[in-house]
Amino acid sequence: MFGTMYQHGKKHPGLIPQFCFLILGMSGAGLYLLRLAKGPHVTWNKTNNPEPWNKLSPTYQYKLVAVNTDYKSLKKEGPDF
Amino acid sequence: MAEDIKGKLERYRTAPFDSRFPNTNQTKNCWQNYLDYHRCQKSLESKGVDVAPCDWYKRVYKTLCPISWVEKWDGQRDDGTFPGKI
Repeated sequence: MFGTMYQHGKKHPGLIPQFCFLILGMSGAGLYLLRLAKGPHVTWNKTNNPEPWNKLSPTYQYKLVAVNTDYKSLKKEGPDF
Repeated sequence: MAEDIKGKLERYRTAPFDSRFPNTNQTKNCWQNYLDYHRCQKSLESKGVDVAPCDWYKRVYKTLCPISWVEKWDGQRDDGTFPGKI
């Protein structure tokens, strides 16, 4: 695929910006997907680590960019289990 | 602890911000509170302690969850086909 892109880019140099944006966008999406997969958003191992989002303190920041939330909130529950 | 929960329940207006679910999609929040309510009930009943603190979770899931979902899950729990771990 990259070979074809290179040949077409040499023949029609106007295509190069398109290739650049394509690669930028796809790698950005892929990297964000990796970030979500590594973080506490997904259950990978149902037997050993179900619900990894429950294991962090309530001040943990889940979002990439948190503009308005102040993260010194308290946990509001009846502790049990 | 139980008095704090009773006080919080009396002052309850709506489900508070849960940092585990910061985005618009609150599906997991509803699911988590439903599970937590039933797990709390099961655990406190087996210990023989008063189950009143669990009502916090019940209020939150009643606020968040669509009624049809709650009815479906209750039916599944009665049938024994509930997919979550309680």
